[in-house]
Amino acid sequence: MVVPVESTGDTSVQSPADAEVHRRLVYGDESALAEVYAAYGGLVRGVAVRVTRSPGAAEDVAQEVFAQLWSRPYAFDPHRGSLRTWLSVLAHRRAVDWVRSEARHRKDAGADDLALQAIPDAGPGPDETVVDRERSLLLHSALAELPQPQREVVHLAYFAGRTYRQAAVELGIPEGTAKTRLRTALRSLAETLADPPDPALERGA
Amino acid sequence: MTDDHEAVRDLLAAWAFGALDPAEEETVAAHLAACESCAAEAARLRGTVRLLDGPPPKAPARSADGVLSLALRTRPAVARIAGHAAPYAAAVAGLKALLPELADRWATPVVHDWDAHATLAHLLAADEHLATRLGIGARVPPSRIEEGTPWEDAWDRRTADVIAHEHGRTPEETVADWAAQAEQLLGTPEARDAELAARAVTLMGMRLPVAEHFLVRAFETWIHTDDIGRALGLAVPPPPREHLGQLVRLAVRVLGLALGTGAPPVLFSVTGGEEWVLGSEDEPVRAELALEPVDFCLLVGGRYTPQTVPRGATGDAAAVRNVLERAASLAWL
Repeated sequence: MVVPVESTGDTSVQSPADAEVHRRLVYGDESALAEVYAAYGGLVRGVAVRVTRSPGAAEDVAQEVFAQLWSRPYAFDPHRGSLRTWLSVLAHRRAVDWVRSEARHRKDAGADDLALQAIPDAGPGPDETVVDRERSLLLHSALAELPQPQREVVHLAYFAGRTYRQAAVELGIPEGTAKTRLRTALRSLAETLADPPDPALERGA
Repeated sequence: MTDDHEAVRDLLAAWAFGALDPAEEETVAAHLAACESCAAEAARLRGTVRLLDGPPPKAPARSADGVLSLALRTRPAVARIAGHAAPYAAAVAGLKALLPELADRWATPVVHDWDAHATLAHLLAADEHLATRLGIGARVPPSRIEEGTPWEDAWDRRTADVIAHEHGRTPEETVADWAAQAEQLLGTPEARDAELAARAVTLMGMRLPVAEHFLVRAFETWIHTDDIGRALGLAVPPPPREHLGQLVRLAVRVLGLALGTGAPPVLFSVTGGEEWVLGSEDEPVRAELALEPVDFCLLVGGRYTPQTVPRGATGDAAAVRNVLERAASLAWL
């Protein structure tokens, strides 16, 4: 019996290297996972430590992120974006979730306002006040909620250390668009600080 | 100056993120020294970015092995195995990787009149023929098939019986049996030892070494994985390059046998790979035919028609058509 194949008509930007890595991950090639870790392990841990302020938590987040990529390789689609961006966004999401759940635990345990401060080795550093720590989490939560096109440029330009021009190439968008998205994103983040959501709601989230 | 002002204003967010190239960085710095309103906006934006910054990154606390141990516990890597069984091992891993995407979508129509559950049941039945030959017990009660039944009928009958049986069970149970049987196949001495796998057995009307029957299993597993992927709207990548090469060579051998020595000779090549003369060796080549390796496999697997498969062809059109039609006629999937 002959079943015709439909053309996918795919014209999106796609990195051949990402597609090849994805192929090897799908077919269970462990060396592909090790290569991805060698290339992006630092990025993933770096993102996670900025959010959690805890090297230990960042390691846990990295474990989860690479376990997700390996055990659900189809969650990443090389036709839709780069592996670098996908890993960075996933690490950030998981790290924000970690801080929220940690804060909720502390609160349930009765620590309440000191919730964030009480997280082991995740409290404010010597130069950081508790207020700054709370504001930082607020910003990271807002960043995780940005529309995806903005979020991707921020991840590449900020976490992955790309210039906005390089980010534009990687995302297959014009340079001007990358610049505009960074501006829109950063302004809306700055506004989050000026006009924070109800802290009671935020903590319960 | 005004132009500069507007241009710099546009760049301030990228500047605050540290995402400018050095030339733009200089332009911005020079302007900020002279423009109070831009300097204020710049300070506000950079202040926001500073809050996102964490402590400076430290050396990793755990080794790569430590970080990746969770991943490898969740999904084991494909074990090293003899070259002839490696494509099957990878194809099995590839189908397993797709299965989580099927959660709650097992009734999705896939191919023929099979849903995803029936497609897995078919693979359980299709692998069983080789499994039985290698001394592995069947997991589904035997079918009543008379001696002397043509292999195609016996094959279809067994698939129908196994699908009927598996539809009385959950997809997870079918998957568990398919996966366990595949595991047993990969655990046989024939999967690990090329010499043992050189023994020829007749399956599906083809007398081939066991090694090549393992390739046939890889081929079918991949094609059906691709079927399921299409049904779910997911692009299943083709098998790793070296495995794809093994599958192509197998398909060319089978196609050569099917064409026999009387067919008008065609120089056949796969893109980026080898070439072969198919058909008569006693006549000059009548035509040239080139296909992408994946397209060739999909043609032999019955997923392309001879009319629609993308090809490059020159020379005698009838000779080319003969090869394409014979290739498509091999499909048993």
